[in-house]
Amino acid sequence: MISAAGAQLVLLSSLASASDAAAVRLNVPVEWIVFAPLLAALLCGILALRTGDARARYSGAICVAGIGLAFLTSVAIAASVGYGFAHETVFEWIRFDRLRADFAFFLDPLTSIMLLVVTGIGTLVAVYASEYMRGDRGYARFFAFVSLFIVAMTTLVLADNLILMYLGWEGVGLCSYLLIGFYYEKPAAVAAAKKAFIVNRIGDLGFALGICLTYLQFGSVEFAVIFEQVEALRTSGAEIPTAIEAIPFLLMLGAFGKSAQLPLYVWLPDAMEGPTPVSALIHAATMVTAGVYLIARTLPLFLLSEYALPTVAWVGCLTAVFAATIGMAQYDIKRIFAYSTVSQLGYMFMGLGVLSSVGATFHLFTHAFFKAALFLGCGAVMHGFAGQLDLRRLSGLGRVPGWQIVTGSMLVACLALAGFPLTSGFFSKDMILAEAFVTAGPGYRAIGWIGLLTAGLTAYYTFRVFFRVFLGPVHFTAGEEHHGGHGHHFHPHAPGAAINVVLIVLGAGAIFAGWAGVGGGHHGWFGSMVHHSTAAYEAPAGAAHGGFFSNPHQWMMLASSVVGLLGIGVAAYLHLYNRAAAERLRRSILPVAVLAGHKWCVDEGYDLLVRRPLRFIGHVCYSLGDTLIINGLVALGGAVPRLIGAAVRPMQNGRLQGYGLGMAGGLATVIIIVWVML
Amino acid sequence: MLLTLLLIPILTAFAVILRPARQAALIATIGSTAAFAWSMLVWRAFDFGDSAAMQVTASWTWIEPLGLRLSLGVDSIALLLVMLTAALTPLAILGSWTAITQRVREFYLWMLILEAAMLGVFVARDLLVFYIAFEFTLIPMYFLIAVYGSTNRARASIVFFLYTFTGSILTLVGLLYVAWAHWDQYGRWTFDIAALTATAASMSAAQQAWVLLALCCGFAVKVPLFPVHTWLPLAHTEAPTAGSVILAAVLLKLGTYGLYRFAMPMCPAAFHEYAPLIAVLCIVGIIYGALVCWVQRDMKRLIAYSSVSHLGFCVLGLAAINAAGVGGSVMYMINHGLSTGALFLCVGMVYERFHTRSLDELGGLARRMPVWTAFTIFFVLSSVGLPGLNGFVGEFLTFFGAFTSGQPVQGLPTGGPLGPWYGAIAATGMILAAIYLLYFAGHLVFGAYHLPDTSHAGHDDHAHVRLPRDLCMREIAVLAPLALLCFWLGVQPGAILSRIEQPVSEIVTHVNAAADRSMLITAIDESEDR
Repeated sequence: MISAAGAQLVLLSSLASASDAAAVRLNVPVEWIVFAPLLAALLCGILALRTGDARARYSGAICVAGIGLAFLTSVAIAASVGYGFAHETVFEWIRFDRLRADFAFFLDPLTSIMLLVVTGIGTLVAVYASEYMRGDRGYARFFAFVSLFIVAMTTLVLADNLILMYLGWEGVGLCSYLLIGFYYEKPAAVAAAKKAFIVNRIGDLGFALGICLTYLQFGSVEFAVIFEQVEALRTSGAEIPTAIEAIPFLLMLGAFGKSAQLPLYVWLPDAMEGPTPVSALIHAATMVTAGVYLIARTLPLFLLSEYALPTVAWVGCLTAVFAATIGMAQYDIKRIFAYSTVSQLGYMFMGLGVLSSVGATFHLFTHAFFKAALFLGCGAVMHGFAGQLDLRRLSGLGRVPGWQIVTGSMLVACLALAGFPLTSGFFSKDMILAEAFVTAGPGYRAIGWIGLLTAGLTAYYTFRVFFRVFLGPVHFTAGEEHHGGHGHHFHPHAPGAAINVVLIVLGAGAIFAGWAGVGGGHHGWFGSMVHHSTAAYEAPAGAAHGGFFSNPHQWMMLASSVVGLLGIGVAAYLHLYNRAAAERLRRSILPVAVLAGHKWCVDEGYDLLVRRPLRFIGHVCYSLGDTLIINGLVALGGAVPRLIGAAVRPMQNGRLQGYGLGMAGGLATVIIIVWVML
Repeated sequence: MLLTLLLIPILTAFAVILRPARQAALIATIGSTAAFAWSMLVWRAFDFGDSAAMQVTASWTWIEPLGLRLSLGVDSIALLLVMLTAALTPLAILGSWTAITQRVREFYLWMLILEAAMLGVFVARDLLVFYIAFEFTLIPMYFLIAVYGSTNRARASIVFFLYTFTGSILTLVGLLYVAWAHWDQYGRWTFDIAALTATAASMSAAQQAWVLLALCCGFAVKVPLFPVHTWLPLAHTEAPTAGSVILAAVLLKLGTYGLYRFAMPMCPAAFHEYAPLIAVLCIVGIIYGALVCWVQRDMKRLIAYSSVSHLGFCVLGLAAINAAGVGGSVMYMINHGLSTGALFLCVGMVYERFHTRSLDELGGLARRMPVWTAFTIFFVLSSVGLPGLNGFVGEFLTFFGAFTSGQPVQGLPTGGPLGPWYGAIAATGMILAAIYLLYFAGHLVFGAYHLPDTSHAGHDDHAHVRLPRDLCMREIAVLAPLALLCFWLGVQPGAILSRIEQPVSEIVTHVNAAADRSMLITAIDESEDR
């Protein structure tokens, strides 16, 4: 069992108090990370509102410049913070009574990592989108929203208190809403956007209540103060109040909403209605990892409850395998990768839950690269084939001229996702799985085995896409966005320089990002970074790395390589060499395949059990409650003025002022009557 | 100074009557803007270092033997509501320039009289001045609905009038009872609110409970609290745009202001005792209003029901009786005024163009009206309570107040009769707000572009000024200041919060202390009985 005493919190004493003299003095204006994209968002927003302004075409460049500046600042900040921490107040925000929530930043190595991921991937996606979105009517609007997203996301990451984090949290939710619904004339896009916002709000409710409860227990919402008190509480050895143990459960509800975990994952696959660069940036690399970041950031709180982290681990584990099964049965390649994102986020939560915050954040880091590469690759395909995403209608793209870079980066990213040896995903996934086997906790062994099984499924569905779409005989049909007449006139247009360069960079990241977690010390540079942040802890001494095999990491690398290769092998047989066999297999398990294809009917279930009853209650309230009462009242009330009207008819001369005087007179009469009665 | 503030709209109203109809809109706009400028001067003159005290006072003897005085003054909370009124009236008037084409002079006359009456409510320091102004808001509003409303206006105006009038008569009874109690105790009449408040607060808990009940009758209808809210959707739906704006932005706040100014300080022990009951009504209203919103097909009625839900939060904050709750509630009054007022303006602009309020007949306006869309989505987000905009601060503080009410913070006891469950259940309103407001936006703004059939929409087109498809500069000038305010208050809520901290903490202390005293008395009585 994990308990506060079991897991050793190595929260550095200097970290506990941000006002401590040990704080790093920043030599770079950190607020630029937020303000540069904000400025870009404003400029693009103005351009978006001026219909017909030719300068709208510069909005892509404005956005790249804004986010790029934020990235450069982040690099400087990361160098400046190093393994230390810093605190910076930008301005006072909410101060009332004893509640203090300023617009202030808290920086430690974990913040640096997140900033680099968010602004780095953000810049790349903006470059990519400047080509991808060209010719779209909402070009400027798109970049306004993307810049705004970076503003919100960096605020979320930098926040020094829970309420400011909540601001960023809701802000990214808003941008997600606006960008999913970017093609607002498509009913599916509008519905998906609405769904995303509302499902997220359910999680946010937990977050908001968690903030209230945190304040009640610790008298503050500022991380520095909270962690200091957690540390004091832990060392005092006093009984931990139940109310405190409830805090992590409320916070994790928020995390599960934002990071699309069971039972709140349903919005993410639908979110693919948004433009593909958005899917890459928001719905794969950055925003959806906010939940992981929230738990990593508030990990000391989670350690106060015996059941919090095991719950996180189990939810993550079940989500991972559940989403993988759905992903295996989809035909839309973007959707397959969407379910894959849900599944990989599950791994991250698994990692947090089994006390591998390094593994979880490392997987977040590597996943950002290879998943962004996968989505942007899909986007290139979609862009070139007029919106075609059905893997049955695309084949052998690797041999079509101009598509080599896309194919190459897709291959690399697929290998990383499948956990192929020495790619980035391989290192990070192993870190999590190995930890699951060695950490003592309720059913953690089982979590490890399920995780391993899921790794196999992941390898299979990933290469199902790759073998189908990029290898095999060359044939393709244009998607529905092709308006040039019949399909056989269709010529795909290969991606241009901006798209290709970004794909190369991300492909390189998909391979080499893993090296950040290898090497000197415990898990290399990345491990050192996390160990110097508030997410740092160590597994209890003795239990660590001894329970299973002499070196669980080596054993796990071997095991997962085997499983991964097995998955790739099955995919190769079914989807490259013998596609007919895949069809036969599908027919033999048809009910299961259809059900998985229908996403196990979870959406329908929610509709039936939640949405419809609520709407029904709304109807009942309105038609029974209000309308009946109104009608009754009017029937009753209508009679009274008619009686009065009959009595005072001579006074009615049709002049409004007359009515006014009469009313005032009536009022005076009533006042006098009441007066006399008293 | 405050008397001048009241006289500016009244004199402008005379000017409107005396001049030709085509100048009416301009005169009214200038006059109400002048009133706003004057209110800025009042703001300058106000010393926020002592914001709980009545300032900028003035007092004239009226009827000596009855102790009636025409006395005016504001504390910082009243001043904020004065500012809200003075700021929104010119915008509502400016927004009506093309919408009102018949009986123009009367329209602006009633708008200006309404403004004077509303200002009178907030600046009154004398009970009867307050009550007269409070009641007098009914008359202009009645005519605004009855004359300038849409098809169902007769019914709506009557329901509006009867509902609120009946309620406020009972409020009057309660207030007069307090005045009588004062006379009984001191042998002379006075209607000074401060003096009567002191008298009322020293009454027994049972007496206070009766007074509270009487006061709540009027104020709860005005707010409106569930279950006496049914007049609001009808009135809102039928009222002309400017009427809806003022109704939502200011008239509803007369109810919450009444609770804050009279119910809480006059019957503190009873308010503390019955606050859980009030809170339950608020929470039911929050959820009920939101669910009903979700099934509306009429956009004005949808926003009207959203007010029922929102004002539930506002009163819930008062019932929390702690600094966060009451402070949040005051914030909420201002914020709701800005964002819901603005939403009614946005909807009104669409109505003026297409002559329909039905969500079935309109859709996908984003494509043709990008500027309007930007504003509408902005105000929807403000209404949803998106952090960074104004709505969030008030909403968060109210439910935070309800959640923390009466709970020890870090082991230290704090006042208030509610608890986490009140906050937690009320907070589900946040989810529901997202559901119905996005439903609204999804239908009206997004989706496929479609308009009502011209056959039944354009029949009275000749009476209307042709408007461009998207907003004209005048309309942008109406919405832009509101949007800026919403943004500014979201980023710098301290501009309000720091200014209301003193009066809020004073009333919270007052109510909680009175409740403690009353509990002590009860305990002593019981022990004596034994």
